[in-house]
Amino acid sequence: MMSFGVMTDVKLLEYKGKELLEGYGIPVQKGVVVGSAQDVPGAIKDLKAPYVLKVQIMAGGRGKAGGIKFADNGEDAQKICSKMLGMVIKNIVVKKVLIAQKVDVLDEWYLSVILDRQNKCPMVIFSPLGGVDIEETAKTCPDKIIKTSINPLLGIKDYTARYIFKKYNLDNAYFEQFLAIFKNLYRLFSDYDATLLEINPLAITDGSRLLAIDCKADIDDSSLFRHADILEFRNSLDENELVVSARKFNFLYIPIDAGGDIAVASNGSGILMSCIDLITKTGAKVGAALDLGGGATSERIAEAVKIIFRNQKTKYLFISIFGGITRCDEVAAGVKLAFQSGLSDKTIVIRLEGTNKAAALEILASIGGRVITAESISDGVKKLKTRRND
Amino acid sequence: MSILIDESTKLIIQGITGREGTFHGERMLAYGTKVVAGVTPGKGGGDVFGIPVFDTVRQASEATGANATVLFVPAKFTAAGAYEAIDAQIPLVITIAEHVPVHDMMGVYHIAKKSSSLVIGPNSFGVISPGKSKAGFMHDKIFTQGGVGIMSRSATNCYEIVFLLTNQGIGQSTVIGIGGDMIPGSTFIDFLPMFESDPQTKIIVTIGEIGGSDEEIAAEYIKSNIKKPVVVLIAGKNAPRGTSMGHAGAIVSEDGTGSAEKKEEKLRQSRAIIAESTEQIVQIIKDLIYIKN
Repeated sequence: MMSFGVMTDVKLLEYKGKELLEGYGIPVQKGVVVGSAQDVPGAIKDLKAPYVLKVQIMAGGRGKAGGIKFADNGEDAQKICSKMLGMVIKNIVVKKVLIAQKVDVLDEWYLSVILDRQNKCPMVIFSPLGGVDIEETAKTCPDKIIKTSINPLLGIKDYTARYIFKKYNLDNAYFEQFLAIFKNLYRLFSDYDATLLEINPLAITDGSRLLAIDCKADIDDSSLFRHADILEFRNSLDENELVVSARKFNFLYIPIDAGGDIAVASNGSGILMSCIDLITKTGAKVGAALDLGGGATSERIAEAVKIIFRNQKTKYLFISIFGGITRCDEVAAGVKLAFQSGLSDKTIVIRLEGTNKAAALEILASIGGRVITAESISDGVKKLKTRRND
Repeated sequence: MSILIDESTKLIIQGITGREGTFHGERMLAYGTKVVAGVTPGKGGGDVFGIPVFDTVRQASEATGANATVLFVPAKFTAAGAYEAIDAQIPLVITIAEHVPVHDMMGVYHIAKKSSSLVIGPNSFGVISPGKSKAGFMHDKIFTQGGVGIMSRSATNCYEIVFLLTNQGIGQSTVIGIGGDMIPGSTFIDFLPMFESDPQTKIIVTIGEIGGSDEEIAAEYIKSNIKKPVVVLIAGKNAPRGTSMGHAGAIVSEDGTGSAEKKEEKLRQSRAIIAESTEQIVQIIKDLIYIKN
């Protein structure tokens, strides 16, 4: 789904993406994933040395950050693995390492299928110059990258692969292998509700085989009802504790600026974005946003407020609720409930509009000075700024 | 006038026997919408608030001459419901559910473009022509009839603007929830010509967000085709960027398409008026009306 203009897709780690590729008949570099260095000897018994070890983290550019290392034998692999596990790369603690059989690469291609919003179609991207510098290639030699829209009612046909081979004068010896990978990748893309499948590099190895060395896969989170394996993968991820807590109540918690001391809560992502834009304009930093969704009861509001303030850095909460079907007095009662459980050093600026507003204002007034009511969003933003400067 | 729906629109509610369908069906009837039929497979022959229920859209359409449908069906059945409505040649198909898989919508989008149906949504509050008809779940009390045509990707920003406008005595011709999803059935470019030729609509408000290129495409259209004033808000300038691990996204949008800056730049070139906040939109509209008088 979309939220904040970005997809809230499930991003698969390399090893999980490769599992999917393999399941669709796409040859991948042979490897195993481990979560403990002790498991290394047993895990690699079917792999041939030398090895490559790759940290499994949700971030790009891990190679340049020291997340990819080579080992000549099992002993080295174990040593490197034990160093890698627990390492912090790009603010992420490494919990899993993929150990793969090192392959000799003759050439690297790039192949991806992405859901292109602009044309509302899948788009295939191919380059004969694959590898880590592909984005640079896109800028410096745009003619070395081909982007082709695929008609979703038609799917992938042989001629697209043939066009790619002709355009870049690729060795026809690889055509059949490439075509199979291409079609299978598209089949996986459609079957698994992917918004991105990327093989980079798609390597030509010394055995004249095409092999997926690394892959990225994003799966539409709205489709998880039909992909139990991906749902299970997401639930196994070590995510922000507040995100997970919020999800239990069907709230969406979105961390924004780690240095921010303000959180914003509302019943819709559009108005949240507007509030963030206005608060940021005053020079303040928003640390997090929480989308309450519809139908908020006082208990749910109280939970939301408590979850938000569990982040110690968050000192201020800006709430804007436009009643509609949501009752303002329920929201106010929820805020009161939350304050009854503590929150002595926290401040809430709240703007309510809609059903039972008068009753809501009475409830809020009874809480005292830690709750500031506002007449409009801009009035609230002003009052928030004044309070923070006190 | 007004666009898309009015007092003569004959509406089907797909999923009328479900909790949401029944709840909002009653509110649509109370607002004066001509709800002529409901559709729930297996429940044909019954009725809800006196509205006959059919098993299929085609039967509902044949029996009542319905010319619009609103889908109050769960996300996972939305594509199937939309296909059925398109196949029954219903001219206007409004989908409400959020969390519809984007691959489902991609299919609906491409089939709809080859049909005579206009699909709106999903993840939409629906469409309302104040004082005439509403098809959706919006809180209708904040709307009043008037001359501002609004289309919005965000429900909450839209309600906010409508509320402020109504408080200032400024009414709306038609308000459309485009929906916030990656592939909406229709977008700004589909409604701009309708608003331009609608005599009731004097000012067009476009509420966009970061992501996608619908605002950029709309800007191009506005530049050469729209004479009425267009006021725009782009939300999300300071929203967090999605962490993308792959390169494909960067390759596709290397020219900055999708960012708030790019959208505003394109829209400025089209003479659209850019607002910084929901409240500023209302001020701009007041100024426009004042200048005109």
